Amino acid sequence: MSCDEKKIPEYPLTQIYFYLTEGCNLKCRHCWLAPKYHSAENPLPVLKPELFQRIIRQAKAMGLSGLKLTGGEPLLHPQIHELLETVRAEELRLTVETNGVLCTSELAKQIAGCKNPFVSVSIDGADADTHEWVRGVKGCFEAAKEGIRNLVKAGLKPQMIMSVMKHNEDQITDVVKMAESLGCASVKFNIVQPTARGTALHENGQVLSIQELVELGKWVEHTLSAKTKLSLQYSHPPAFKPLSKICRNGGGCGICGILGIIGVLPDGSFALCGIGETVPELIFGNAATDPLEEVWNKTLVLKELRQGLPENLGGICKECIMKKVCLGNCIAMNYAGSKNLWAPFWYCEEARKAGLFPASRVRS
Amino acid sequence: MENEKLIANPTIVLREEFDDWAVLFDPDTGNAYGMNPVSVFVWKHLDGNHALEDIEKKLRAECKNVPDDAGVFIKEFIADLVAKGLAGHKFQNA
Repeated sequence: MSCDEKKIPEYPLTQIYFYLTEGCNLKCRHCWLAPKYHSAENPLPVLKPELFQRIIRQAKAMGLSGLKLTGGEPLLHPQIHELLETVRAEELRLTVETNGVLCTSELAKQIAGCKNPFVSVSIDGADADTHEWVRGVKGCFEAAKEGIRNLVKAGLKPQMIMSVMKHNEDQITDVVKMAESLGCASVKFNIVQPTARGTALHENGQVLSIQELVELGKWVEHTLSAKTKLSLQYSHPPAFKPLSKICRNGGGCGICGILGIIGVLPDGSFALCGIGETVPELIFGNAATDPLEEVWNKTLVLKELRQGLPENLGGICKECIMKKVCLGNCIAMNYAGSKNLWAPFWYCEEARKAGLFPASRVRS
Repeated sequence: MENEKLIANPTIVLREEFDDWAVLFDPDTGNAYGMNPVSVFVWKHLDGNHALEDIEKKLRAECKNVPDDAGVFIKEFIADLVAKGLAGHKFQNA
């Protein structure tokens, strides 16, 4: 691991992902982080508001323009109102990833009062049985729908996120209809990742095969998209997306902005993202003791990524002509599965082996 | 300049996709550019036999509902290709 200081360009820290709570109020069987179950009898640590504020103050001087509140479950944080007030006062773009269960009318209004708020709510089925089979807690389906209604009443147009697996693949169309009826603006279909609890789903054959995933992506982007006014996003890598979708989205296509992002874990640790909760070598210090600027500028892993992306990527990523846009899709996921920063993304690698990687998107 | 014949850089690869969009790929730099169907039409006429106004005429003859300002788009697109080294003007013998 060597780095040449002179060749490393400056990278502004544009966004922070705050993983606010160590626990979660649901027990999702596909969760890529696997937080412990939080209950009144078993409260779990959360990020201290004073650390949250200290990090934001430091980061604004480094280019911070927005942040994401996620978890665990961000709305479970006992001082969530105080945190949201900080976001509003600092005029930072707000993104919230939530299961919606705790999204009261009051919280929804407070979120709506922040700058350019974007909220995504996880819904994994069009009925309670399916959603709660995935999410592991009775009653969470109606509670999540009520959370969405509160967001819509507050003037927001949330995104619904559905993680697709064998158990719920037949409900995709109905989930889109439900999103329409509730007033959502978009639906995103996530692929279950082979990390943390998702690993067991992959090993037990409860996820779709690579052939099914690739076909489903085409169907969502070409057929289902034409039947709804909602924006539909299927979270496969850019190599699989039609150019028309990539170009019309301004080239972003929902990819991770890894070179401008840092994660903050509930104990104040800085990490590549939430993956630090299960991969300790991707933790880079702690906000209680380490200045953010020093962490951002001196952490070897971050410097290696700035210097090596995308050219050092291996496998199919090396051959992919979308690599400058995609940047390996998810470095954290790639590392978690291989302990190699430059490992290719599993989805693309499996597609290549199955002869399903788009021929027009490889170098030769 | 507008009457000069235009020619695509022969090292650049055009990868056409199922929906009439295409990728222009530069194997030397690894850069890739997405092109919509009209851009693909223009690219295919950068063969050393067509000038900018010839391409616009062909586009109007072969396609429906071509907007009035299509010529402006074509001119800007070609200028962008030339600036990126993806196309150029054909050398004319004296």
